This record gives sequence, C-alpha cells and structure tokens, in this order.
Amino acid sequence: MQEGRTLSTREINRDLLRSILESPRWFWPVVTVLGIILLVAAIAIGIMVNRGLGVTGLNRPVAWGFFITNFVFWIGISHAGVMLSAILRLAKAEWRRPATRAAEVLTLFSLMTAMIMPIVHTGRPWRILYWVFPYDFARGIWPNIRTPLVWDPSAILTYLTSSTLFVIIALIPDFAVLRDHTTGVAHRVYTLLAMGWEGNARQWKLQITAGVLLSALILPVFVSVHSIVSWDFGMAVAVKTWHSTVFAPYFVVGAVHSGVSAVAFVLILLRWCYGWQDYIRHEHIDALGRLLIVVATGWFYFLIMELLFGMYGREADELAVRGLQFTQWPYNAWFIVFVVTTYFIPVILWLSRAWRRNLWIMSIACISVNIGMWLERFLIIVPGLVNKQVFSFTWADYAPSPFEIIIVGATFALVTMLMLLFSRVFPLVPLYDVKEGDILKTEVKVGRRTVPATFRED
Amino acid sequence: MASSGEQQHGGGHHAGMWVFPVAERVTAEVTGRTFAFPSGYKLALGVAGILTVLGVIGFIIKLTSSGFGSPGPWGYYAGIFSFIFMATGAAPLVAVAFRFTKSHWRRPLSRVSELFALVGVVNVILFIPLMLALPPILNPAAQGTELEVRRTLWFEVPIGAPHWWDFLGLVGLAVCSLAILWLSAMPDMAQARSSATGFRRALYGLLAGSWYGSKRQWIHQKAGLAMLGAFYFMLLVFVQFVFITEYAMSMVPGWKDSVLPPMYTVMSFQTALSLILVIMFVMRRWGGYAEYIGVSPFWSASKILLGLTLLWTYHLFAFFITYWYGRLEFEQNIIRYLFTEPYLVLFLGNFLFSFVTPFLLLIWNPLRKSDWGPTLAGCFALLGAFLFNIRTFTAAFNTGDHYEFALSRVPAAVLPDFGDILIILGGLGLAALVYLLAAKLIPNMSIWEVKEGAKYQKMDTLMKADYLVLAKPE
Amino acid sequence: MARRPILGLFDSANSAADAGDALRQAGIPDTDVDFLTDAPYPEGAFGEREEKHRLYIFPFIGGLLGLTTGILLTSMTQVAYPLVTGGKPILSLPPMAVVTYEGTMLGAILFTVLGIIFESRLPKLKAGLYDKRITEGYIGVLVNTEETQHGQVETALGQSGAVEVKRESGQ
Repeated sequence: MQEGRTLSTREINRDLLRSILESPRWFWPVVTVLGIILLVAAIAIGIMVNRGLGVTGLNRPVAWGFFITNFVFWIGISHAGVMLSAILRLAKAEWRRPATRAAEVLTLFSLMTAMIMPIVHTGRPWRILYWVFPYDFARGIWPNIRTPLVWDPSAILTYLTSSTLFVIIALIPDFAVLRDHTTGVAHRVYTLLAMGWEGNARQWKLQITAGVLLSALILPVFVSVHSIVSWDFGMAVAVKTWHSTVFAPYFVVGAVHSGVSAVAFVLILLRWCYGWQDYIRHEHIDALGRLLIVVATGWFYFLIMELLFGMYGREADELAVRGLQFTQWPYNAWFIVFVVTTYFIPVILWLSRAWRRNLWIMSIACISVNIGMWLERFLIIVPGLVNKQVFSFTWADYAPSPFEIIIVGATFALVTMLMLLFSRVFPLVPLYDVKEGDILKTEVKVGRRTVPATFRED
Repeated sequence: MASSGEQQHGGGHHAGMWVFPVAERVTAEVTGRTFAFPSGYKLALGVAGILTVLGVIGFIIKLTSSGFGSPGPWGYYAGIFSFIFMATGAAPLVAVAFRFTKSHWRRPLSRVSELFALVGVVNVILFIPLMLALPPILNPAAQGTELEVRRTLWFEVPIGAPHWWDFLGLVGLAVCSLAILWLSAMPDMAQARSSATGFRRALYGLLAGSWYGSKRQWIHQKAGLAMLGAFYFMLLVFVQFVFITEYAMSMVPGWKDSVLPPMYTVMSFQTALSLILVIMFVMRRWGGYAEYIGVSPFWSASKILLGLTLLWTYHLFAFFITYWYGRLEFEQNIIRYLFTEPYLVLFLGNFLFSFVTPFLLLIWNPLRKSDWGPTLAGCFALLGAFLFNIRTFTAAFNTGDHYEFALSRVPAAVLPDFGDILIILGGLGLAALVYLLAAKLIPNMSIWEVKEGAKYQKMDTLMKADYLVLAKPE
Repeated sequence: MARRPILGLFDSANSAADAGDALRQAGIPDTDVDFLTDAPYPEGAFGEREEKHRLYIFPFIGGLLGLTTGILLTSMTQVAYPLVTGGKPILSLPPMAVVTYEGTMLGAILFTVLGIIFESRLPKLKAGLYDKRITEGYIGVLVNTEETQHGQVETALGQSGAVEVKRESGQ
C-alpha cells in the first residue's frame, strides 16, 4: 500500500507549506476570475431581491427548482469530509492521511454554500430569521419544531459547528509548525491560533484520542444531516414519489457517492496545482476509486429500491409521476443521462486498476458522478411538483431562468474560491498526519519479498 | 515464537489482544481438535438432535391440524425460518467481507463463518412448506374486490412467481456458499488428509485430491473466492429483498415500505456477526482454541457490530417517521398493528435487544476489549432478531384479507400453539445440529489463513516499546 | 529551591529515547520529563510515563446537557404554541426526536472539544522553554527539575547525543 519515498520532516514542511509561504503565479488571477463570477451572481441576487422571485422560473405548482436542487447537491458534497476522515480514521486506513484535511474543508465550504441556497430561495432573505430563530417572546410565536424545515437548520448547524471544530482541533499542531516558520503579523496570528502547543506526549495523546472520539461523534450527525434533508421531502404526503421510507439512507449513500468523488477530484487538482506528487499518490486515488465502486453499488441498490417500491404500490397518481420521469421529454432524457453518468460510466472506469491510476480518467469519472447526482436531485424534486394534482387548476412546466443558472453556477466558483483562500493560509494536507504515517511505516520480510507494514497501537 | 506465555504479547500496550499461533503446529492442532469428540460436544449434539425430533413432531401436528389452506397458522413457522435464514444466510458473508478488506483479525473466524454453508441446505428444505403456505398473487375471489392481485413485486406475475424464483434464489445461495466453503477448505482438507481416517479420508481425497498448493492454484483459489464472494453478496441481498417483500410486506395490505429490504439486510449482518461471535467465544473458552482466537477479533468485530446496531435503528426510524408523518389511515393502522398495539410486547423486546442493550454494552471501551462483552451484546442482538422475525411474520401471515388495497383495521395478535412452540425449538435445533456436524466434517479453523497470517503479523520494537506490526501485501 | 526547565535537542528519535533512559538512571522522575515532537509517536515509544486523561467523561456530560435542552426546547415550544397540524397530537415524541438528537450530539461534541483543550492543558499562556527546530523534526527533551540537578541532567542529555542543551534565557 505504501509506495512513495520516505521524506524528511524538512521536506514535508517545505512542500506542504508551499501553498502558504509562497503564492503560485496563477493564484491571484484565478481568484480574481472567480471573484468576478461571484460579483455577477451577487448582482443577480440583488435584482432578484429587488424584483421578486418572478425573475426565476419558479411558479405554481413548481415552487422548488434549481435552488433547492443545488442546496441538496451541496449538502451531499459536504458528506465527503466526515465519510473519509472519520470512517477511515476509525478503520485505521493508512491511505487516509493526505486526504483527510481537504475532505473536511470541502465539507465546511460546501455546507456554507448549501446554506446560502434556501436563503436565496426565500426571495426575502432577511425574513429567514423568523423561521430559523423565531423566538419572539413579545408575540409568543415559537418555531414549529414539528416541521422538517426547522429540523434542517438544527441538523446543518450542528454539523457545521462540529465539523468546524473538528478541523480546528486537527489544525492546532499545524498552526504550531506555521508559528515556527513565519515572522511578523502572520507569526503573531499563528502563535495565537496554536495556543501554546509544544507537542508533548500528553498533547499528542489527546490529539489522537480526539480524532477518534470526534470521528465517532460526528458520524451519527453526518448520517442525520442528509436524512433530515431527505425528510424535507419524505414527510410530505401530497407530492407523490416523495413519501418513501427509503429516502433517508438513499440520500445519505448518494451524498457519500458524490462527496467522495468530489474529494477525489479535489485531491487530483491539489496534486496538480501545488506539485504534491509525493503526498497525494496514485495509490490514494486508486484506493478512493475502489471505495467508490462499493459506495456506487450500494447507491444503485437504494435507487432500485426507490424506483421499484414507487411502482409496487400501484397507486395511479404515483405511477403518473413515474411516467413523467421515465417517458416524457425532457425528463426521460435527463433520467437516462442521470443513471448512466452516476453509475455506469464511473463504475466501468473504476473497474480497471490502470484507469483508477490514470488521473485524467479518474477526473472524468468523478465529474461524471457529480453531474449525475445533481440531476438525481433535480429529478426527485421537479417531476413530483410538475405533475398535476387533484385540486391544482393552474399548473405549468418548469424551466430555470438565467438568474437561477447564474446563481447556481456561481456556487461552484464560491466553493473553489474558498478552498483556494483556505489553502493560502492553512495547510490542506495535515502535516502531522503525514509525518505520523512515516514514523509508523515499517517492513516485514516474507521469504525474499519485503512487504510494507505498519506499527499499530492496538 | 512461543504459542503461549507472556513474552509474545509485547510491551503491555495490547497484552493478550493478539495471539500468534505457531505455523508448524497449526495443522496438527486444528485437525486434532476437529476430529476429537469431547463430552460437551456430544451433549450439544444430543440436545440439538432431540430438539430436531420435537420440531418434526410439531410440523406433523401443524400439517394435520391446519394444512396449507390459509397462511395464518404458518406465521410462526415463517418467523423461525426467517430468523434462521437471516442469521445463517448472511454468516458466510462475514468471511467474504473481511477477506475483501484484508483484515488480519478475521483469520480465525473465516471457517466459523463459512461452515454455515451447510446450513444453507437446511434453509432450502425449510423453505418448501412456506412456498405452499403463501397465498397466490392472483386473487382467487377477484370479482368485486379491489385488487385482482396482491400488491407485489411481480408486476406482470411471470410464471412461477414468486415461489419458484425465491426457491431458485435459495438454491443458488446454498450452491454458492458450498462452493466458497469447498474452495476455501480445499488446502486445509489436503493437509488434513494424512491424519484423517475412514469416511473423512475418502471425502478429503474426493474434494481436495488434486490440491498440491502450487502458486497457480493459490492464485486461482484467491481469485475464485473473491468472485464467488461478490456473487454471493449480490445474490443474498437480492434473495433477502424478494423474501421480505413477498413473505412479509405484500401480506399486509398497504404496507409499502421501501426501507424494509435494506433494514432486513442490515439486521441479517448484525445477526450473523453476533452468531459468529457467540460461536467464537465458545471455541475460545471451551473448544481449546484460546491460542488461535485472541481478543482482537472480538474487539474489531465489536466496532462493526456497534455500527450495524446503529444502522438497524436508523433504518427503523426512517420507516417509522415517514409513516407517522404521513398519517394516512392505513399508515396509522400499520404502525398500530406491527408496533404499538397487538404486538407491542414483541416490538419492545425487539427494540430493547436489537438496539438498546447492545448499544449500551458496546459503547464502553473496556467491555469491547474483552471477549465476553461483544459476545453478550451478540446474544442480545440474536434475541432481538428472533423477536423481530416472529413479530413481523406472525403479523404478516395473520392480517386476514391479503388482497385489500390498504389495511382498514387492526387485526388481533396470534399466540403460538403447541405445534408452533415445537416448530420453533425444532428449527433452532436442526440448524444447530447441521452446524455441529459440519464442524466435525471439515477442519473448523482455516488452517491456511492462520498460517498465512503468521507471516504477516508479529510483535516488533520501535524505540523503547514493543508494538504489533501488521503487513498488508497488495 | 526553584524548579527550572532545561531543554535538550536531539536530531534522532532513538537518541532522545536513550536520553530518557539516562535521565531515569540519573534519578530524575518520569513526571519531570517531557518529550516534544512534531508528530505523534506511538505511546511508550520514548519509554515515557503513561498519560491519564478523563476525556471520555466530557461527551457524556455534554450529551446529557444537550439532551435535556433538546427535550425542554421541543416540548415547551409545542405546548407554548398549540397548533394542531395534520391531526397529530400537540405534544408527541416523534417530531421531538430529531431536534433532541441534534441537541444531544451538539452538546456532546462541544463538550468533547472543550475537554480536548482542557485536558491538553491549552491554551498555554506563558511560553515555556521551546525551540523552533522541534517542528523541523528535532526531538526536544524538556526536563523540569531542581536547579541543583541541572548539572546531572545536562550530562545525561549531552552523553545521549543532544545537539544542543538550552536553559531559560536570563537565568
């Protein structure tokens, strides 16, 4: 499993702090371009707030469209962080080491981006306060904790808080490295952040215990977040195809599928941008590819459950929505694209070891998954709403307006920019985790062959 | 390296967790224990035999008193079948799964898990009466009723659906798991052949005669195990899906529950792992395998058992909250029928033993680092799964009109009669009997895996202390 | 007599571990010796003392507090604004489950994080004896002992191959 050469501490510091201590030539131009995209989106949001939601394609009966789809999509991406760092940490998988931090940080930024979507979607964002924090003692109005729309913020804020703290705790030792490698204002800031870390045995023991304990505590939160997002749909009886008991695990597995693919893609980008060939190695991407075959197949199983039991009921109105999904233009075309891009293209690519180790092919597979997963959410949300219900007398199809497309597109720029800015000030590959891996690395001789091995504490 | 004593256990960081059997002695020790008949074993075999006889009597009573005219009387039979199928069908998968993840701690439990292949044959036989008891998909009194067919997976009702398809699935599972067992045990049988006598010698000659352990054979054996394992996994998930849908869900009008098959599958993994932990505990404590089965398999399996326990509860909650929120009349009736009214006691027991007790036991590190802690949790989980199956299937088989569109009332609970009790005891006895016999037929510890493991695991010194070193060849 | 720190810097982990042995032989108790590293070594690798902590209590306390808060918040708001929705009872458990669960987990995680910081004895406001080279891969052996023993300590560190032995400046 361990290929790569052994690096000295000095080399590890130099390589992994490169993104912070020196900024590459492409850095600021890229950030500027992303900033311009965000500016355009901000203007679009401004016009939307000024004119009202009429500028979007949303209308009766389709009240949830691109924004909510994008919200569910980014929540999904945010599941990668914990999936990788917590599960792999608990499973003591050695290959997790370089991937954990980037995954956790992707979690943070995609969660934040996800939270923006429903706020934008309300059309009058300032009013969101009355929903999320409506503790209005004067008028005696309380939040309706019986609605999943209130569960959502509770789960997402819990997840955001805990993942942020998780990242910060794991950053403390790296802050200390930065403290020792900087001068001036930066030195003072990192000194403050490092909280006087000196790296004694007690601090390390707690750092390691904390990693395991926090992983175990965040895992149940991570499962709950996307489950609760799924219950935004599942609790409703009125919209057919939404009231399905399998939604919670189906959404969670789908989220892991898209999230881990996204992390694999981000790692490939980082390797390429910062020249981290010695850290993010082919074996890591390969391992992610193998993991993804399992996740994808699990997801496919849940997809089959969702579809089969949709029809199992033989209820006319539910079958009508399925008909819309499977047979009517353009949903039928999107449906085919969705299934092919989410499962068949990537899994076929991942089956070959050589292709898993080809970064171009891996990138294509990972992007393909995320195109498919975006469509999945769209195809769950929109057809159910488009379908005419018993007492709806005005109804229309849904097509996104340019405003929605611009805003949704800009969320990708936002996450990219936040990741880049983060990498400018904090290391995206955990230094101490990589160094620990090197300390524990050893070999076992079996006959004439040397097999890579690790020292284990239990 | 010595096989016992303290020196092998290193610097106290994981004393006793790992044991490293001496490669040279493994074959002789394992075959010796496999071929021996201690009194405890004979007693267990006797009890299992008596229970099996009682079960046959119970079955005859049931058959003569009720026949296969209506499914109702066969509810308890279905429950006990499902329990045995749930636990023993998924059991061979435990070896497959941890061989796939290349976990070293799995080595002593591989064969314990694979021997369940022979119980798979029992599953096929026990399934036949259930096929006869299942009402047809097409409503015999179609005129004037709401549905011509039950709600069913078999939309166009192909020939033989669902009975023969399920049966085919079970046969496929049995054949596949036997193939896994044969392939996995082949090197061991070849080694045990020299010390075996009589029937076993002939059997080993037949099954492993051509094995001489060439590089090529090893490569083919490993590739074969991986492929058969993947196939078994997919087939098992499919058969479980069809079985729980056809024999439980579709029998309760209106019960449309897409999370039930995944939940059943998760519970089968929980139950199978629990069963294997219990057997390993017995082998470690009383079977003379203390030098083979350390605490580390318990410690590692306990984390997975905890995860599966939480997953089961999560799936249950996903069902419950959706139905509770939907609040349609039939949804309320189904919750009342299956959970809160006639079968409340069984449900509470099921929840207590499948979730509460294992969860509370397994969150304590000191308990998980013992051999009895995870075993105790496993015992509870087995009891919980038993109650789950009895509750679900007895309720499903006794809903009355299976062709209604939605459940419009809450039927009463059905208590077991004398025949049912005998059938339950007999079912458990038969499964145990077959397993006990299987454990004497084929080396009950995976000799080649334990020997292979000895090459890749050792204690080694890093600076001032000894640690476990695990090597993972690609 | 005042206790003062003294820091030996080593460029190899093995010699730092040997220094630990030498100090023990010189009669310095384990509790006075700390090994400063830039990455976690497996426990006991330096032959150092075992560190006891009570981190596992924190999530239980936090979880309990979060659970209580969750139950109170959800039950009281339901009662405070009695609006019947979908024919469901005003005060019922299933809708409380999610918010209560999140409250419990949030409490547990917040307390765990506090516990980590507290048990790591962070933040350390007054900077102790330290050397920047530790994050470059050097191992620091920090001995906090009576000044009378400093001579002994210095010899032990030096003989084990310390690259440099530092004392607090201005002493």
